[in-house]
Amino acid sequence: MAFIKSENLVKEYKINVKKKGLLGAINSLLIPEYKIKKAVDNISFSIEKGEMVGFIGPNGAGKSTTVKMLTGILVPSSGEISIGGLSPYKNRKAVASKIGVVFGQRTQLWWDLPVIDTFDLLKFIYKIPDKEYKKNLDMFSELLEIHKFMNQPVRQLSLGQRMRADIAASMLHNPEMVFFDEPTIGLDVVAKERIREFIKYINAEKGTTMLFTTHDMQDIEKTCNRMIIIDNGTIIYDGSIHEIKHRFGNYRIVEVEFQKEYKNLSFAGVKLINSDGNRKKFKVDQTLMQVTNLINELTQKYEVQDITIQEPEIEQIIRDIYQGGICLDKNVC
Amino acid sequence: MIRMYVEIAKKVFQNNIVYRLDYFAGLINALIVILVNISIWKAIYEEEEVLGGIQFRYVITYLILGVLLQTIFMMDEYLIEGKVNSGLVSMDLLKPMNFKAYILSHNIGVLMFRLIMQFTPALIVSMFAFGLLPPFSLLYMFYFIVSVVLGYLVLYNLNFIIWMTSFWFYKTFSLVTIKDAAVTILSGALIPIWFLPEKLVNFIELTPFGSIYYIPISIYLGQVPPNDIILSLIKQAFWIVTLFLLGHILWKSAAKKLVVQGG
Ligand SMILES: Nc1ncnc2c1ncn2[C@@H]1O[C@H](COP(=O)(O)OP(=O)(O)OP(=O)(O)O)[C@@H](O)[C@H]1O
Ligand SMILES: [Mg+2]
Repeated sequence: MAFIKSENLVKEYKINVKKKGLLGAINSLLIPEYKIKKAVDNISFSIEKGEMVGFIGPNGAGKSTTVKMLTGILVPSSGEISIGGLSPYKNRKAVASKIGVVFGQRTQLWWDLPVIDTFDLLKFIYKIPDKEYKKNLDMFSELLEIHKFMNQPVRQLSLGQRMRADIAASMLHNPEMVFFDEPTIGLDVVAKERIREFIKYINAEKGTTMLFTTHDMQDIEKTCNRMIIIDNGTIIYDGSIHEIKHRFGNYRIVEVEFQKEYKNLSFAGVKLINSDGNRKKFKVDQTLMQVTNLINELTQKYEVQDITIQEPEIEQIIRDIYQGGICLDKNVC
Repeated sequence: MIRMYVEIAKKVFQNNIVYRLDYFAGLINALIVILVNISIWKAIYEEEEVLGGIQFRYVITYLILGVLLQTIFMMDEYLIEGKVNSGLVSMDLLKPMNFKAYILSHNIGVLMFRLIMQFTPALIVSMFAFGLLPPFSLLYMFYFIVSVVLGYLVLYNLNFIIWMTSFWFYKTFSLVTIKDAAVTILSGALIPIWFLPEKLVNFIELTPFGSIYYIPISIYLGQVPPNDIILSLIKQAFWIVTLFLLGHILWKSAAKKLVVQGG
């Protein structure tokens, strides 16, 4: 049975419409007017134990809203959620002890206390047995290099340090499932990489189920097999990264530097996308033309100086999807 | 179960020690307020021993106790407001703990800190330098301590109601200020209730304010007849229960608002 099951999840926010001016303000105070904003619109998915799922979508797509509903701090307007057989908002405390949550934008650490004090408190809050606590603490502080700032108050930490401490804090009690909402936001490349490694390691080592949202496709590519894309509150893709690359990345960019300038170059299934003197950039649709054939043709018929071939980047594909350039669901477009 | 709340209180206690300047400022402030009050009342008494049937020694003791209790009854008024405005209140809900118990343990940590680090030294100074009378009797001392605990809980639950409003108003500064003024004037912390007009006293008797400072201090001074002591304690308990229930209802609807509207 799936560990997480969400069925026909809907969340509508009531937004207070403020009117302009003093009279408007008084008016809004006396007779509040509301607008309904559908942030999540009928989404269903399930996640198996031990899975690592990337949850992506443009700003305002409804990712954080979904994560909040899954973790029990937001009630769905309609639909069902079950986490390990429990409803997160009806059994808030029971679910809370099974899960860990990291919000990149909000810390769960006690602001004034040294990091280690928050960890100590969590030991009691989650009733973590001494041995397990010590084992996890040692492991996390080594992997995330927390020992260097363990005794510093949280408010003095850099963003990257705080995030690492936050991630450790969310996992001390060996949760069955961890939610990450933008755990790498604002971090440098090295810090991001360290967090990815850590997440991957824990997933492999402890079989912890994980769901994380991010805007960094590298996060997803390096850690997750499965990706859910949400836009305007609905799921537009749920499948492997491999598949999305296969379906929409079935082209190569071929950049050629010729010895001299050729005009009117044209090949079947090949689009000239950039021309700068002797340098030309082609987009090769692999269903119509094999790259090797193109290269053969080029080198035989023309004087070629240099050729580079690029695979399409997942970032580019995702950008195309967000901008509507790629249609995932034929019924919708 | 209780253990985690004890640990939270302990951590808050330790955390308070970090702010040494704040600690000394609090202590010195208490002593200065006592001194100023004594001088004011000395001027009012103008060398008389007794005024309106009340001995000067009693007034002094009343004032000192009032200030001392005020030092330990000081709570973290903006803790919840801060959490509401930063959205961190959701982070607390993500933990397997009871939010209200967590807030109480936080304030108990503050209370313990003030009790040991400010109340005790100020008490000792008051006994030797300001002429604080000993409690009426050992038994009354015991009732006094019980009554102080109840008084704290009355004020705590009253405060909790104010704190809860931050879920709707976001800024509670004005409400807290009004509440503070009401408590200071009506609770008898500043002016002994004996000296207030009878009409006002009758009104105060109907409110929770008299249960905060006035009842414990009166017990300490032996001004409550033995037969009435239990009744006074029951009166305090009544306000605790009433205010607690009100606060609980507010918390329930605040929590509901939070999970429906999002933090
Ligand atoms: N508490 C709230 N009250 C009203 N509207 C809200 C609230 N929280 C979110 N929204 C709205 O719901 C929509 C989805 O927001 P959400 O935070 O889930 O997006 P997101 O996918 O996490 O975006 P981002 O990538 O920018 O974090 C947005 O239009 C947002 O304005
Ligand atoms: Mg978000």
